Amino acid sequence: MSFTHLHVSSAFSAHYGVSWPDELVAAAAADGADALACTDRDGLYGTVKHVKACLAAGIDPIVGVDLVIRGSQGRSTGRVVVLAHGHNNGRGYHALCRLISDAHEGTASGRGVKGREPGVDIAQIAHRAAGSPESAEAGFPAVLTVLLGPYSDVGQALRHRRYSEARRLAGRWRSIMPAGSLVLEVVNHLGPPGGNLSTAHAVRMLKLAADLKLPAVLTNAARYRQVDDAATADVLDSVRALTALAKLPDLQPNGQGWLKSSAQMQVLAHEIAQEAGAGRAGAGELLAMTETVADRCRMDPYQDMGYKNPVVPEASVIGIGQDPVTELIQRCEAGIGARFRGISGKAEHELRDRLAHELGIITRLGFASYFLTVAEVSKIITDMGVRASARGSGASSLVNYLLFISHVNPLAHGLIFERFLSRDRSTLPDIDIDVESAERHNVYRRIFARFGDRRVTLMSMQNGYRARGAVRDAGLALGMEEEDISGIAKQLWRFSARKFREAMEEKPELRDFSAQVEQNKQLDLLVDVTERLDRLPRHISMHPCGVILGDETLLDRTPVQPSGLGLPMSQFDKHDMDPMGMLKLDVLGVRMQSSMAYAVNEVIRIHSGKAAVTAAGNHPVDAGGNGPGYIAEDGRIDLEAVPLDDEETFELIRSTHTLGCFQIESPGQRELVGKMAPRNFNDLIIDISLFRPGPMKSDMVRPFLEQRHGWAPENYPHPDLETVLKETHGVTVFHEQVLRTFDVFTGCGLARADEFRRLLGDEAAEPTVEEYFRRQAMDRGYSVDTIDKIWDTLKAFGSFGFCKAHGAAFAVPTYQSAWLKAHHPEAFLAGLWEHDPGMYPRRLLVAEARRMGIPILPLDINRSADMYRVERIPADKGEPEKLGIRLSLAGIYGLSAAELKRIVAGQPYDSLADLRARAKVSRPTLQRLAKLGAFDELNQLVGRKGTATRADLVHHLDKPPVRPVPRRYEPIDGQLSFPLGDLELSNLKTCLPEPTMLEKVRTELDLLAVDVSAHLMDSYAPLLKELNVTAAKDLLSLRNGTEVLVAGIRVATQTPPMRGGRRVVFISVDDGTGCVDCTFFHEAQDKAGPLLFGTRLLLIQGLTRRTGPRGMSLQATNAWDLSHPETLPLAHPAETPVPAREQPHLQLPDRAMLVGLNISG
Amino acid sequence: MGVFSETVEVVCSPAGQPIRLRWQNRTWHIAAEPVRWYERRKWWAEELRAERGRGAGLVDHEIWRVQARLNSRSELRTLDLSHQADTGRWRLIRVHEALQRLSA
Repeated sequence: MSFTHLHVSSAFSAHYGVSWPDELVAAAAADGADALACTDRDGLYGTVKHVKACLAAGIDPIVGVDLVIRGSQGRSTGRVVVLAHGHNNGRGYHALCRLISDAHEGTASGRGVKGREPGVDIAQIAHRAAGSPESAEAGFPAVLTVLLGPYSDVGQALRHRRYSEARRLAGRWRSIMPAGSLVLEVVNHLGPPGGNLSTAHAVRMLKLAADLKLPAVLTNAARYRQVDDAATADVLDSVRALTALAKLPDLQPNGQGWLKSSAQMQVLAHEIAQEAGAGRAGAGELLAMTETVADRCRMDPYQDMGYKNPVVPEASVIGIGQDPVTELIQRCEAGIGARFRGISGKAEHELRDRLAHELGIITRLGFASYFLTVAEVSKIITDMGVRASARGSGASSLVNYLLFISHVNPLAHGLIFERFLSRDRSTLPDIDIDVESAERHNVYRRIFARFGDRRVTLMSMQNGYRARGAVRDAGLALGMEEEDISGIAKQLWRFSARKFREAMEEKPELRDFSAQVEQNKQLDLLVDVTERLDRLPRHISMHPCGVILGDETLLDRTPVQPSGLGLPMSQFDKHDMDPMGMLKLDVLGVRMQSSMAYAVNEVIRIHSGKAAVTAAGNHPVDAGGNGPGYIAEDGRIDLEAVPLDDEETFELIRSTHTLGCFQIESPGQRELVGKMAPRNFNDLIIDISLFRPGPMKSDMVRPFLEQRHGWAPENYPHPDLETVLKETHGVTVFHEQVLRTFDVFTGCGLARADEFRRLLGDEAAEPTVEEYFRRQAMDRGYSVDTIDKIWDTLKAFGSFGFCKAHGAAFAVPTYQSAWLKAHHPEAFLAGLWEHDPGMYPRRLLVAEARRMGIPILPLDINRSADMYRVERIPADKGEPEKLGIRLSLAGIYGLSAAELKRIVAGQPYDSLADLRARAKVSRPTLQRLAKLGAFDELNQLVGRKGTATRADLVHHLDKPPVRPVPRRYEPIDGQLSFPLGDLELSNLKTCLPEPTMLEKVRTELDLLAVDVSAHLMDSYAPLLKELNVTAAKDLLSLRNGTEVLVAGIRVATQTPPMRGGRRVVFISVDDGTGCVDCTFFHEAQDKAGPLLFGTRLLLIQGLTRRTGPRGMSLQATNAWDLSHPETLPLAHPAETPVPAREQPHLQLPDRAMLVGLNISG
Repeated sequence: MGVFSETVEVVCSPAGQPIRLRWQNRTWHIAAEPVRWYERRKWWAEELRAERGRGAGLVDHEIWRVQARLNSRSELRTLDLSHQADTGRWRLIRVHEALQRLSA
């Protein structure tokens, strides 16, 4: 007889379990078990993965949870395991889900947030264990089993030999729980005699069960699969308690909590029974009862949990009175009227064919309500006036286009429906919707309100350890000094913790650390422990965009817990959606959408009406002098209606001055658009699709560019592919092309072609695909040579090519942002500063404004608002009227939200006293405002002929505050004050000089993280001159291959995947005249060593490399830290004036360092 | 009670249970059922490495408490033996002054 483990924590018990569900299942199955439980702490976090692994291994899943029990005062009395009974049409599973949701009701939404810990009291378990009231009344058996184990109140009492207390507590459990739902759990980790988890502890449990005539089962309360993982469990205990191992009072008594084999568990049973005086029979009974309990808890995933059974909201909820299919057809008809007015002839024929094709597949799969649901969500968002656009393969569907879910016409771009959905795919397709990030939470709340919180929940995500977090927590466990650990953590850059040792050997930036390890042996242990933590889940959080929609039964199928947003969040993550048949919508908050919405509103605010906007944006006018149709009378621009062929927009893109533009602002993309010189919207789609790890890695870009520019002849592998590959000059770029290629050569149809595409790269399945492809192509008369060539292409590109629908969906906001930058740069930049959407720090976009000649208006107590505003600068001294951008008070360090609100509400102010009185700002805030020059203008106006300087004012405010006026002299409400003007300012003594530019810039960087008055690098001018450094703007005029020195502030660091697998590091620096993108190959990385990732101010030596007509980058050969002048390659180091010591301390946000290349999807 | 650590040779039954041991060049015979448990180690302080795949013996050691005598007439002594999983070696870690009741 095999043994069934009923109490097993997987790695998804954060900071507790060590092993992954599939590892545990594989080990149990290999040992001959035919069932295995997964009982994670506080939730079903690993359950779906467990069920999936069990189905694959052919064993029965058992599903449960390890929950905290709360006593009368709400304090934890211990933990118990609750298992769901199976084969009862889900009544057990539903009760378990509801119980777990009960446990999380009103809990803290995350670590470090105030609130109670999850837990339930006995009555709550009893209530759920009885099943629904009807079934309990009808006398149905209980649907849950509780295991009272060593960590329960009963087990803890027995650990300390408090026998009568244990009896009383167990008696209480028995009196509250329904009949047949209570079991004692005997665990023996062979701990030291008499102690926790010792044989004696187990014996006491077994004897109590016998006394009370309760069944007893044996488990190993397993936390890890094998002996080797015990040390990892120690570390997790330490991290959970935030206490070093050496100081942790209640560690596991030893390392025996692994998933022991049947044979080992049987030996344990005998040992316990013998010690209890129950002999062989006692052991047999214990093991038999374990199997009895296991049997009633075996789950039928399909019948009990709704596995693989897609569920969508009830038709009535989305307001449909009729058959969803009929409704869908009618809405598509209406869509044709709106999207394709006046279509006829061949075009209409094609449209109708396509629609019939899509509807046929949708109907056959029974997904009509799904589309109607998504359409309903789109409508909710649009009705809120929030910008939204579908992304992803959803753009491949004409139905989506007709329902206004997506805004790309799939017929115009050759997008294939089967890439999105085919009759062979039984899982719900993904439709992703991008919305303004600032509105995302409101959108969620509206969706909850619309569908009801029984049918909606947010999706969660598991956050696992990566190198930095792992090294920090490993250091904590080992009791290392926090500073030392921080120092090490900062040097780690994007590799998995599991490969720490490997990385230490290979990566130049870890060279110093490797040397330390040789010196300090404790670091050796640190590396080992860090490797152990790799990828383990740390905590669950709200997924950035997933919303789950279901019917009335949703909360029977997933437990929920509070999210940071206050809305309920499912314990399941994205990998669990498909198996659990859950409809998930990705509602993504995209900052660029917010920025663009902001820009559009600024355009309306600053210009009065359509004519003014048309003139300001240099938009085309018709013969009658009227502006274009996409500008409304009030000046509102409808970005969706802007034609996609604006020449000025493409000119801007080709200029590579695309900082701030969606998707094309990164150094790599600026290089690519420079080379490719996009001429139309389709070019933009291709550009975005090419800039992906796959194509970059496989060298698709170079041949494409050569053929595009006519430097190399277009080359088609076979004439039959000319139509398929025409738009990309013979190079396979898109999934859609892979699908069509399959179809042309095998006649398999597009649906099967997509299945084949998915199998490419799958070692097991690919040979079958290849065989089919070769046979079919042979039958169709293609030569072996051709077949070889085509197959190689498919094999190479198929698995990582890009879906054109994704590219098309991305290209829309890319185009729109470039259009705004070309026509309304002030409003566009204001939107960028306000919402900070891109990869760069805000200071770089301020520098971009400076480069473009857009005035940056300083902070001013009366003119600055709580947002970045476009402001008119009147014509002056022959200069025409201009638009500038006024800095926002919101960016000031240390200014509280409440102060900000009061300041803005009280504007304008006629004196400092007025500001103090009405906005009640604190003294530090007043000083900061003064330092940043926010009172300069006030001082000019009301001060003593404006002779006092900013420094005088700061000095004045530095003095201790005047004692407050006694209460009785305070003005009463409504009392008018004497118009005395600002006595304070007019009495200021003039003694200090105006701060220097460098001082001002330093203050700005400290308090705003933006250099406003001048560029930070300006203060380095003498040093840079001495070094003979070349400015970014001058690079373009140099010859290819010139050796130069450049200098600047790091604005981006990237390590994209590269052909050949060797790492390349891209570092971009900004010197005030533009950005220089530097490429560090292996040798240069070696030379730069520790400077690669940590240093902010860099001096870089390298060779110019022409990347296109407007592009010049640098191939770096060496680098120095500009703030360490003694290391710089100066001719006469001693004589050179170096401003280093008084340099502003530049604190840039970490985000600048953590820039990704990935486009999701 | 003496606490120290000394390598000893132990002969075990096929089930892995100690039968006799050699200590100080004398053979001690084990009388009565020995008691076995696993005792934790402060591996983070005692070890230089804790790499994955290290296997048993890092976090705990197997301890056997045995009662042994030199011959049928001599006095019973209680001894604690540690069995190291990684090396297979046995060490005598405690010699109890009086006879301990053997019970887990």
